[in-house]
Parts: sequence; structure tokens; C-alpha cells
Amino acid sequence: MVTDSDLTKHLSEAQVSVELQTEDMTLNIGPQHPSTHGVLRLVARVNGERCFDVRPVIGYMHRGYEKLSEVRTYLQITALINRIDWVSGYANEIPFIVAAEKLMDVEVPERAQYIRLILTEMARVSSHLIFMASYPLELGAATPLFFALRDRERVLDLLEGVTGGRFHPNFNRIGGVKPNAGAGPTTKKTPQDLPAGFLAETRDAMSVVLHTCEEIEDLVGGNEIFRARTKGLGVLPPEVGAAFGVSGPNLRASGVKFDLRKVESYLPYDKFDFDVVVGENGDCWDRWWVRLQEIRESAKIIQQAVDGIPPSGPLQAKVPKLIKVPKGETYVRAENPKGEMGYYMVSDGGTGPYRLKIRSASFSNISMLSWILEGVLVPDIIAIMGSLDFVLGDVDR
Amino acid sequence: MTSSPSDPELAVHPLQEFADTAAEAVGGEAEIQFDTIKLRVPADQWVDALTKARDNLDLVFFSWLSAIDWANDVEVGDTLNEETEERIELLCTVCDLTEGRRITFSTDLPNEKPSVASLVEVYVGANWHEREAAEMFGIEFEGHPDPGPLYLPDAFLGNPLKKSYPLLSREVKPWPGTVDVEDMPEKPSTENPEA
Repeated sequence: MVTDSDLTKHLSEAQVSVELQTEDMTLNIGPQHPSTHGVLRLVARVNGERCFDVRPVIGYMHRGYEKLSEVRTYLQITALINRIDWVSGYANEIPFIVAAEKLMDVEVPERAQYIRLILTEMARVSSHLIFMASYPLELGAATPLFFALRDRERVLDLLEGVTGGRFHPNFNRIGGVKPNAGAGPTTKKTPQDLPAGFLAETRDAMSVVLHTCEEIEDLVGGNEIFRARTKGLGVLPPEVGAAFGVSGPNLRASGVKFDLRKVESYLPYDKFDFDVVVGENGDCWDRWWVRLQEIRESAKIIQQAVDGIPPSGPLQAKVPKLIKVPKGETYVRAENPKGEMGYYMVSDGGTGPYRLKIRSASFSNISMLSWILEGVLVPDIIAIMGSLDFVLGDVDR
Repeated sequence: MTSSPSDPELAVHPLQEFADTAAEAVGGEAEIQFDTIKLRVPADQWVDALTKARDNLDLVFFSWLSAIDWANDVEVGDTLNEETEERIELLCTVCDLTEGRRITFSTDLPNEKPSVASLVEVYVGANWHEREAAEMFGIEFEGHPDPGPLYLPDAFLGNPLKKSYPLLSREVKPWPGTVDVEDMPEKPSTENPEA
């Protein structure tokens, strides 16, 4: 027979056991999860709402580009490396082409350099606009997506008009650039050039982008929920970020004023006036804010470049028909939208590299996931991962 | 000591001073090739050299680590023009975060059972890069806290980035395939049978 005292005893025991006995659970996230921007899998040990011991599992998208480059010619490799970070395919080509040009000692015509610079910055704008669209979406706000994608589409249209490709332009040639057929007159006297009206349209598009930045700053930055979800979360100290090799906006958000556009000379950035924007705390909010400001800086650079581009001139330096790169080794890195992207190129004088090491930004950026996700709440996993803005093609190569 | 082929041979490269300082501080042999400083160190001083680079030269940013398989016989791709000493060359680039200086460290490892001390204690970012180099080149990193494949499946055999490793797609269909354009498929009949 159960007495009242038995019941109370039982109940009190039950309460105690609820408080004390918690079991760890293994939570598997991915490989297919919308916020992983590709196929990333996370295995986390979860205790209540906190997660510990998070292990990223990568390699679902490994395509072996470094091996494939060893059996391809330089011209063929640009088509491959477009697919590394597909959100900013154009920017991937630049350090590779510059490395080959450095080994060949080719001087690129100024007009071609300006076109490269304009398109690289466009790739940055479109990549950051994707982030502006997807990050609030991952935190539950769908509206900013429409604002950001509307303008990204405009930028991509311009990119497509010049190169013929929205995502994978494959536009750079050793010694210059190659506008697509139909982009301009193609007689022998007047070779292919930028499409008519491109420069004016670009200027217009950039003022639209600048206006959208204001809108996004109001709409997202002024949102209480967004602020509460991102401020103070996922703080990355600069020294930890540097040791992990975290680069680009993610490192600048931690207060490191370092931009490869200022220190390396792969494109004529020294002719333009722009700021290196840094954050203060290195949290998710700063990473979002720094990218928003970078869109503005890029738009500023593009507007200056559109004004300053030489009105005419060759787009291609004289290079042999069969490209053979002389023997040598070099490392060329560039400030890509995701961070430092570089190629260590080893040539033995053949039509393709002997070895091509691809240093991609997202690989190093997410190698610190286990560190930054240690002890955070489960819903914050997505908030932190989203703020790092990685692409799995850039991780796995 | 060439910077680029057009430079006069005697001109001093702008990076020369930093290369000399680094070689003195770290020990090793500096060489500038196409604006890239390469510092050769012996394999047993690998960790020591990079620790000094981090502490004395302020190269705090870990950029990448990888290797080159120098081989005379290759399964795919072009062979080297001149015979080389067969070895695995381990490379690691570290940079500063102020003036954009960078050094690529290099050390030679034997072709058979290459092994070197792990850098994870010095640069924590070396973790994934070493795991990648380990599976791709068969290098053993002693003292690595978390060894194991990174990209490749657990049961994968071989080291894909070694020159002796064949490329499966090339084995199945040799390059360049049909030299001329492949035959057009037969024209479908223009007559509509139901008409």
C-alpha cells in the first residue's frame, strides 16, 4: 500500500534525479543542412542545450583539383579553379593567372588590369550580398534575402555581359582578359571589347548597391532579434584567428587591420582610395557589419575604376600561342571575398604546372570550428557558422 | 637569387634584406624566387625554425602547409626535364599581419617513410593542413594530436598526390581521347512516321 509519505519521497527523488542525471547525446548535423553552404557534417556532443567536442567532418566534396591540375594545361586550369569558391568564381582566377604571368614575366596592359579589378570587386560585392541574404535567413529573417538577391542579380548580369558566365566566367587569359564573343566589335582593327554601355551601367548598379546597403543596415542591423542573436556571440580573438590561419573579413572583424589588397601588388589597388574596415569585438555581429562595409568600399573602388579606366587600349599582352611557363616556383595570394586565396605554383617549363598547391580561405576559416563552437548553445551553432561565410567548394577543393 | 628573368642579375631584390635577417634569425638558407622567399631548413630543425619565425620575426599568421613530390617517374602528367634527387619537399608559409611579409619554409624529407615533427603546438592551424599532407603524401607528423584522414574515406589506399599514384579517369580513358572530333551521332529521321 502506498502512503502519502511514500509518494512525496518518490516525487522528491524524481526531482533530484532530473536535476542530476543528464546524459550526453551525440548530435549529427549535416552533411545536408541548408546553413552549411554545401556538404559539411558536424558531430557534436550535446548536454542539454550546450554542445561540446564539435568535430567537423569534411571531404564530401573533395574533387582533387591539385591532382587534376597536374594533368592539365594552364588554360584548362582556369576553368577548374572557377569552381573552388563558386560564389565568387571570378576572384579565384586572379591569383592563379598572376602567378603564371609572374613566372612568364608578362606585363598585362593597364586596361586589362582595370577590367580585372572591376570584375574582382564585383565578385566581392556579389559574394557579400549572398552573405547579406543568407545570414539573416539562417537566423529566421527572410525579407533581407529579397533585397540582397535583387541587387546581386544586377551585378551578376553585368558580369555575365562581359564574361558570358554568371558564376564561372573563365575570363582571364595569361597576359590579359578575353571578352566573350558578341561583347563588342570583332574586326581586326577593333578587337573585342567591353559591351557598349557597360561602364555607365556599372556606375548605376553601384549606386543602387550603396542604397541597398543603407536599407540592409536599417532593416537587419536595426532589428532587435538580430542584434540579440549576434552581439557577443562567437568571439574570435585576433591571435587565435591568426594561428588558425583565419583570414579576410573574419579576421578583420576581430580588429586586425590587414588587407592583402593593400600589401600585395597583384592588381593596381594602390591607385584607389578605400578603407580597410575592422570590427571591434570579433563577434558574429562584427563579422556581419564588416562585410556590409566592405560592400560599400568595393562599390567605391568600382566607381573610381570606372572613372579611371583607360578609354581604349589592348586587352591582351603578346604571348606565345602555346603557353609554356618557364621553370620556377612562386606563391601569389590575393584578398578574395572569403579571405586569403593563393596558389603555390611549381613549373618545370611545361604546358602545365608540376605541382599546384591551392590555398583556399574557407579551409582555414572553418578549421577552427571545434574551437569556436566549444560550449555554445545548440541554436548558436548555426548563428556562428553562418557568420563565418564559408563555401564547401572552397573547403574541399 | 633571381627575382624575375628581366632584372639585372646584380640588382638587389627589395626582399633581400628581410630574407637575410630571417635566415640569420632562424638559421637556414634563404632564396628569393619570383618575389617569394624560400627558407630551407634541415628536417630536424623544422619546428624550431618555425617557432623562431613566430616569436622573433612576428610571422604569426599560419597560411598553409603542403608538400611537393619530386620524382623522376610519374604516372600522370609531365615528367621533369632534368633528373632530380627524389624526395618529398615539405613547404609551410607563414606571414605577418602588418606589412605583408611572408616566408615559405622548406625542408627535404626522404621518399621512403617521410616523417617530421608536428607543428600543431606552434601554429594550431597546422592541424588540418598536416592531416591533408599526411594522407596525400604519406608523411607522418609525429606528435599530431588528431591524426587520421581528412578528405579521404577511411579505407582509402595510397597517397593521391604522390607522382606514382595514377589518376583513375586517365587510366579509363587516356588523354586526349579521340584526337579529332568524335563522330556525329546518326541523324534522326526527319520523316514523321505518324504523318
